[in-house]
Amino acid sequence: MNETTRYILFMNMEMTRKRGEMYRSIRSWLDERGYLEVFTPSLSTHLIPEHSIANFSTRYLSEFRPSKELYLIPSPEVFMKQIIREYQHSIYQISTCFRNNEQIGDHHNPEFTMLEYYTVGADDEDSIAITEELLRETSLPGTGEHALPPFRRMSVAEACKRYAGVDLMKTQRVGELRQAALKLGLTLPPSPETWEETFHRIFLTFVEPNLPQDKPLVLTDYPSQIDTLAKKVPGNPFRRRWEMYISGVEIANCYDEELEGNTVRAFYEKEYAILCEQRGKDGTVIPDIDYSFAELFDGHFPQTSGVAMGLDRLLMVQTGATSLRDLILFRVSDMMKYYY
Amino acid sequence: MIKAGQIEKGTALLIKGQPFICVEREFVNPGKGSAFVRLKLKSPSTGQVLRETMKTQDNAEEITVEDVDLQYLYNDGENFHMMHTDTYEQIEVPMSSFPDYQFFMKDGETYRVKTWDHQVLEIVIPPKVLFEVAEAEEAVKGDTVTGATKNVITETGLSVRVPIFIKQGEKILVSTETKEYLERVNK
Repeated sequence: MNETTRYILFMNMEMTRKRGEMYRSIRSWLDERGYLEVFTPSLSTHLIPEHSIANFSTRYLSEFRPSKELYLIPSPEVFMKQIIREYQHSIYQISTCFRNNEQIGDHHNPEFTMLEYYTVGADDEDSIAITEELLRETSLPGTGEHALPPFRRMSVAEACKRYAGVDLMKTQRVGELRQAALKLGLTLPPSPETWEETFHRIFLTFVEPNLPQDKPLVLTDYPSQIDTLAKKVPGNPFRRRWEMYISGVEIANCYDEELEGNTVRAFYEKEYAILCEQRGKDGTVIPDIDYSFAELFDGHFPQTSGVAMGLDRLLMVQTGATSLRDLILFRVSDMMKYYY
Repeated sequence: MIKAGQIEKGTALLIKGQPFICVEREFVNPGKGSAFVRLKLKSPSTGQVLRETMKTQDNAEEITVEDVDLQYLYNDGENFHMMHTDTYEQIEVPMSSFPDYQFFMKDGETYRVKTWDHQVLEIVIPPKVLFEVAEAEEAVKGDTVTGATKNVITETGLSVRVPIFIKQGEKILVSTETKEYLERVNK
């Protein structure tokens, strides 16, 4: 073991102890409320197509049959929703997830720990209350006020108005939003881009860096143009999805889960088309997908709200660390630096 | 042209006809969106700071800069006076373009400078600089609290918070990024 590795190990052992404490509290809190803990694979033959998430692949070898490409899961959602459909029960899981092609840094690591909890019978609004209660009851001793409930709430539209002066209701067309972005002084590529891309330019430049950080912030009602498996809000251009920020870092993402099989299928087709086009160009992994996933939503999938929470980041904000570096043992970037 | 994803700290770019230097770069992947890079760019001529968020696949116009070595002579409160070490040609660089650099550059020392079209885009300052303590308050007697600090002034006029044991005439290593005391150097 070299000196640097030994040093990082030494420094991070206290964090490891705290991580264990945090996981134990979260598990017992969810167990007491009747959630069933489930354990699903890290390797899968197919994934839910999401063009914004790059994947890792590996290969299953056998002497008796052709080899098969397998994927490391970016989220256990693909399995957990099958369990919910069959058992109609609230479930949770703490699992290792993998995302490729993100810069390894203070807030990103290709391998990370996700807590996903799905509450049957609940919607996204209920999930805010549940998450507030979860953090109130399970946060580590010494957690600062900035990471403790009560949460602040703001809609994405409100935040855009306040921090960028952009009225999302009046900029629903690509051209209108483009004008707004140009007025803000943003440089846009000459070629047309999607509403979602221009939105993210505005959001990441003017909104996200200015979000209040004195308390956890729940940002609600994401634009429906950002395609996800969250239900649309009838009558307006938003989705029943929220994200929670602590100290300006995204910690959790919640949906009121889409229940319509046709909508899920359409999402699959659209995302897969974008993904194939993009990755055909840059040569990254194109995962196999399974359209039969849409069949789970046959009218018997219960009303459910799911929350995915990054536990490495949660540990970071609860302990006041500023980087994942301070809490991960054997970071892959540290291991890789001898190879570059 | 380069892809925005390849821009690094120190990369010089031409934006709307003006040269800018990237001073900060951060990759951001919004939960459900494309990959972006958040840039903080500075115009060396006007000091203007530009915050840009670009998709990693966007094209950016990189400019090829020329590296020259310039000796720092002095400043007159408005300009840094610097001299080409090979031609002895003297140039003036507006101090407003490089705020606080007067505290980091030492008279007579040579610095690597990036230029483009006769404009100075960047003066490369080492991340850690050794300074002599020019003025130091006497530590208050009896103040033995661990971690107690005081202010000292370096020969360049930089005010630094240091541990109380640092005396006038001693050499200290300071981070030019944070202006924080790093260590005492006994030589």
